[in-house]
Amino acid sequence: MRSGPGRLLVAVYAVFAVSATARAVVQILTKLDQAPVAYALSGVAALVYVIATVSLARSTARSFRVALGAVVVELVGVLAVGALSVVDPVAFPDETVWSGFGAGYGYVPLVLPVLGLLWLRHVHRTTVEG
Amino acid sequence: MLVPLAGVVIVAALGLAGWSLVAALRGVRPSRGQLVGSVVVEALLVGQAMLAVVLMLAADRDVDRVTFLGYHLTAVLLLPVGVAWGIADRSRWGNGVLALAAATEAVLVLRLLQIWAERA
Repeated sequence: MRSGPGRLLVAVYAVFAVSATARAVVQILTKLDQAPVAYALSGVAALVYVIATVSLARSTARSFRVALGAVVVELVGVLAVGALSVVDPVAFPDETVWSGFGAGYGYVPLVLPVLGLLWLRHVHRTTVEG
Repeated sequence: MLVPLAGVVIVAALGLAGWSLVAALRGVRPSRGQLVGSVVVEALLVGQAMLAVVLMLAADRDVDRVTFLGYHLTAVLLLPVGVAWGIADRSRWGNGVLALAAATEAVLVLRLLQIWAERA
């Protein structure tokens, strides 16, 4: 299990995993037909946060690769969905975590993958050199 | 929801968050006092959730029940999980986790107040 700053990073990821999952489940179960693309992406975002949380919390070689993949997908996702929601707001009638580059969550979704990548680089360096 | 009680919960949660943030910046690990503070905030959250269910069932207007109960359940579970995850790390970062959990509680209660106000 991670200790030090990684522990706080995992905690932030866990908060987003829970809130994104709850939001996506409600959206998909109650109103998927209103905006299928937006709510499906909401579900993808939730899954990415769950995978990132678990893989960042573990510290094996395999979890490192899974975490790296999840964080990269997260960065691409928040940039792509953020841009789409600005260009085509009609397709994104309801807030998702990645709408407006995460504006509804204080832009934390935009900053988080960058911190995740920095942390993984730090972990990689200490593992290889230490 | 009892708005004055929600106000007390928010102030208590922010107090715990501020306390933990200062402790994190000072570079110390979570203290016994903070654990007691966490128990107090958790007791307030549990009390608030139980009262909210009663008020929801007695209310003359409909509230979005799934979301309302989901937020209450999350609020009750989040702090114990945060405390467990935080104190397992005996460094300043444990306090960072505690500060995050307590601040998130304040946000959850604010969202609960919004959901309660939106009942139709």
